[in-house]
Amino acid sequence: MHNQGEPLGIFRRGLLQASLASGLAAGLGGRARAQGKPEKLVYVGDNGPWHDCLLHEVAPAFEKATGIKIDFTLLPIDALVARLKAELSSGEGGIDIVQWDASMAGWVSGHMQDHMKLIANAASRHPDFDWADFLPAVQKMATYGGKLSGIPYRVTTGILHYQKRLLEQAGFSKPPSNFAELLAAAQATTKQGLPNRYGLGFMGRQGPAMLGSFTPFLRSAGGRYYDPTTGEIFVNEPAAVDALQFYGDLMTKYQVVNPASLTWEFDGIIAGGQNDQFAMTVTLAPYGDLMNDPKVSKTGNAWAWSLMPGKDTISQTATYLAGWMIGVPTGTRNTDWAFDFVQMATSKKWMRRSIDLGNAPPRVSVLQDPGVLAEHPWAPVQGEALKTAVLDHRDPVWAAAQLPLRTAISQVLLGQRTAKQALAEVTQQWHRSFRLAGLKG
Amino acid sequence: MMARRRSHRRNRLVRAVVAYTALIALLGFFLFPLLWILGLSFKTRLQTFASPPLFIWTPTLHNYVAVLGTGAFQHAFMNSLLISAEAVLLSICVGVPAAYAFARFPFAGRGLLFMSLLVMRMLPPIAVLVPMYVLFSKLGLTETRVSVVLAYTTFSLPLVVWIMRGFFEELPRELEESAWVDGASRYAAFRFVVLPLVRPGLVAASILCLLLAWNDFIFAAVLTNDATRTLPVLMASYSGDVGVDWGSMTASCVLVVLPVLLFSFVAQRHLVAGLSSGAVKG
Amino acid sequence: MIPSSKVAPYGSVNTAGDPPEPIARPQVRPSIGDVRHAGAAAAHAWQPSKTIPRGVIDAAVIAVPPTTRFERWLDRAFVWLAVSPTALTMLLVFGLPLGFSLYLSAEGWSPDETLFGGRYAGLANYAALLTDPDFISSLILTLGYTAITVTAELLLGLGVALLLDLELPLIAFFRTTLIVPMMMTPIVAALCWKLLLDPDHGIVDYFIGHPIIWLGRPWPALISVGFVSVWQNAPFVCILTLAGLRSLPNEPREAAAIDGASVLQTFWHVTLPLLRPYLLVALLLRVIFEFRAFDNVYVMTGGGPANFTLLLSMYTYQASFVQFDLSLGAAASWVMLLIALIACLGFVALIGRRETR
Repeated sequence: MHNQGEPLGIFRRGLLQASLASGLAAGLGGRARAQGKPEKLVYVGDNGPWHDCLLHEVAPAFEKATGIKIDFTLLPIDALVARLKAELSSGEGGIDIVQWDASMAGWVSGHMQDHMKLIANAASRHPDFDWADFLPAVQKMATYGGKLSGIPYRVTTGILHYQKRLLEQAGFSKPPSNFAELLAAAQATTKQGLPNRYGLGFMGRQGPAMLGSFTPFLRSAGGRYYDPTTGEIFVNEPAAVDALQFYGDLMTKYQVVNPASLTWEFDGIIAGGQNDQFAMTVTLAPYGDLMNDPKVSKTGNAWAWSLMPGKDTISQTATYLAGWMIGVPTGTRNTDWAFDFVQMATSKKWMRRSIDLGNAPPRVSVLQDPGVLAEHPWAPVQGEALKTAVLDHRDPVWAAAQLPLRTAISQVLLGQRTAKQALAEVTQQWHRSFRLAGLKG
Repeated sequence: MMARRRSHRRNRLVRAVVAYTALIALLGFFLFPLLWILGLSFKTRLQTFASPPLFIWTPTLHNYVAVLGTGAFQHAFMNSLLISAEAVLLSICVGVPAAYAFARFPFAGRGLLFMSLLVMRMLPPIAVLVPMYVLFSKLGLTETRVSVVLAYTTFSLPLVVWIMRGFFEELPRELEESAWVDGASRYAAFRFVVLPLVRPGLVAASILCLLLAWNDFIFAAVLTNDATRTLPVLMASYSGDVGVDWGSMTASCVLVVLPVLLFSFVAQRHLVAGLSSGAVKG
Repeated sequence: MIPSSKVAPYGSVNTAGDPPEPIARPQVRPSIGDVRHAGAAAAHAWQPSKTIPRGVIDAAVIAVPPTTRFERWLDRAFVWLAVSPTALTMLLVFGLPLGFSLYLSAEGWSPDETLFGGRYAGLANYAALLTDPDFISSLILTLGYTAITVTAELLLGLGVALLLDLELPLIAFFRTTLIVPMMMTPIVAALCWKLLLDPDHGIVDYFIGHPIIWLGRPWPALISVGFVSVWQNAPFVCILTLAGLRSLPNEPREAAAIDGASVLQTFWHVTLPLLRPYLLVALLLRVIFEFRAFDNVYVMTGGGPANFTLLLSMYTYQASFVQFDLSLGAAASWVMLLIALIACLGFVALIGRRETR
């Protein structure tokens, strides 16, 4: 991930820091605070390497301006969940800033402050914050039960990444727009690229990434999982079954998916792309930077981006919407200071900077910035995809519902079960866990 | 007679050849993966992904610069070192007297306590992870190394007691008895007569505890923060949701294994010596 | 040649299960070099005369009898003072968390999954577990996995130990280097192996000359996970067994050799029975650790593909940290703990019986 032109990067970084520090110092200086100034603020988040901007630029700038150190505790995702769970529900005030994932909303949001109120309170201090600048879908993602529970920092969705020249060589002047074209293009590019390169790459390892790979197929085929309010299950309906069957057939019947996909998660799909293992994939938009960078990738400058194909027409395209929020929990004693940091990190200026350091910020102004368009050509496609993206499940039952679903997808990819059989088992297990959770179903 | 001696010598030669062949094959089996990782640590990302794998390439130090450049590795290294050392020290100080008591003095609840130690050793760490975190956070220990050090006693304390009890039991009673007759207190007999004799056991137990503590991932993942982060947690962080940083990963792997390798030169002798002289007792 | 019938006494003695007389293991051994010598010298019982003088001298130096009342009290309380730190530590790091975990396991699931004050659910979590086909298959898988990996570790470890026990030039070098995998951090070792097993640029498939998706197909994934565990832990068995071999008296083996027993006969009838306590301990330790194996699976396969490597600890982990159902996770860990306990009690009884006989 050392895709940053170092000397220039450092230089620009220095400039930005200096300008921000002076600006912020002017803004903050001499203002009386309701709360005493703490020595440090504790930030708890995951350890994904897209934090560079927060860690190495925003936090130092914040410390320079306010004298408050940001104490980062960045953990592996499961450890993060355990930590947050234990700390938030035991009511200790040990965390000042919580970084939470959209899927955690169900249990985290109860412990978070109402950020609408915080924004209003701090309006005078951050006049250019501009909440309306955040994508509408993302605003919804950060809201749970009517409460804005954090400020979105990173948004991810799936888009189609494809090697343009390979598709052209195979006779496709345009990226596929429906499933049939996708299959045709995958067959042609597989034939052309064997034994090393296949038409498609999936994230097929049984784990958290797996659903990110399958969900775009489900959504674009009009399939749904379940209704969290009524407990009604849709995953065994024909739309979903057909989507999974098609997804599995690409691997088992048509054999146009690189079989190494069975071991790939987020890291695998990136490495596979960089290593020319497939001509197309549907994966997180910001990975475009990593796969297209000739410094770390064999396929540098080969990639182009488009929307996930729809089942029959491109108008059916739909993927998922996921991402990270940073927010202030109710337990903290340093609300104002913590929210100051949150607002600084999510300000226009710093969000613009963060996209160069591997983040995918959800601000319209950043996504439409001409510089961004030039350096991160996937960004507008992501913006377009977000318009039809369906928010991932985030009700508390989702956590339990995911596990059987992962098993089912794995079975279908291996050809052990048909989609119908596998999803029938999922339905059965869901009935059980919904009963336990007190939902009907 | 001559012929017999010659055939005897030939037999020995054949045996040595067979033994060395087997040993070298085993060496390949156990060490090749590490050598390959060593090689990878000197490759760029593109060279890592080369297919077929590169056997000759221009080595780069970039990965080491990246790992050591931020200071995070050194920090985690110190943390690992301190935490492991403290865990061993604590377990030895707490566990050795108890092991002695277990071996020598019948007391009420001895069987129960010893049994619970065995159970503690079987404990899947996941079983107590969250409860332990909550407990330590109530005690205000989560910001410090103490929490991890205490957590590590769940496996190192039973190990120390278990190994050392075996050693104490094998010592003849007459040793202390003669000291007692001479008027020494129980403590003095333990400290000055018995303890020096079980030194090999102490060393072996310490080495095993040190290894367990140094290598633990799951406790450290949940109980440490950035300030107290240990090496395995740092290394797990090289594989996040934007790809595994194989360069940093392999380079730090080498940097982690290197001291362990040096250590094992010393450790191997003491482990064998220690374990052979009494550790092995139910 | 000496008639082979003379071998019989050794064979019969040992198959009868009696540890031969000279089993006494000398204690104070500064280095391996002395082991053989001491082992041969201490052919009968422990020889106190060798060490007592030093002890007596020390004792004479420190033999100041406790005089004050406090000192006498201290002396009487020695046992309690020695044991209580251990008892307290155990209560803190083991008793309390475990009690809490038991409490959790009796709590019902709730949407926000609070830690305290959930509704009481009795044995519902345990019932949910035992009726979950995934849990049952995970349990069976774990038992099979444990049996096979531990067997492989014991065989390989024993074999390597026998080789390392030979007196050959450079053997010290092999003794040191062959145990390196055991020193490696398991999570790091697993990450390394993941890289080696990569179907595209991994070195293993390159040597095989045919891309095998090791971690993506059911059986290969299970084999890989077990293999890495054997690779890493056989050296531990090896070092334990080597310690055993080094402490064995030479006499029975030499006598058997003089009596004309073949190498194999000597090994089977003399060495192996003598080695038994060491092997049993290795077995006990490895069973405990393999039964709760986690790091390999967590790093290499995540329990997949299609739950094929979903060992119990991974199941528990998923229940607690993916499904966020800490109560179910707690119940699963209690089931694990109970199974391990029963197994280990069996072993301990076995070892105990061997010793008292």
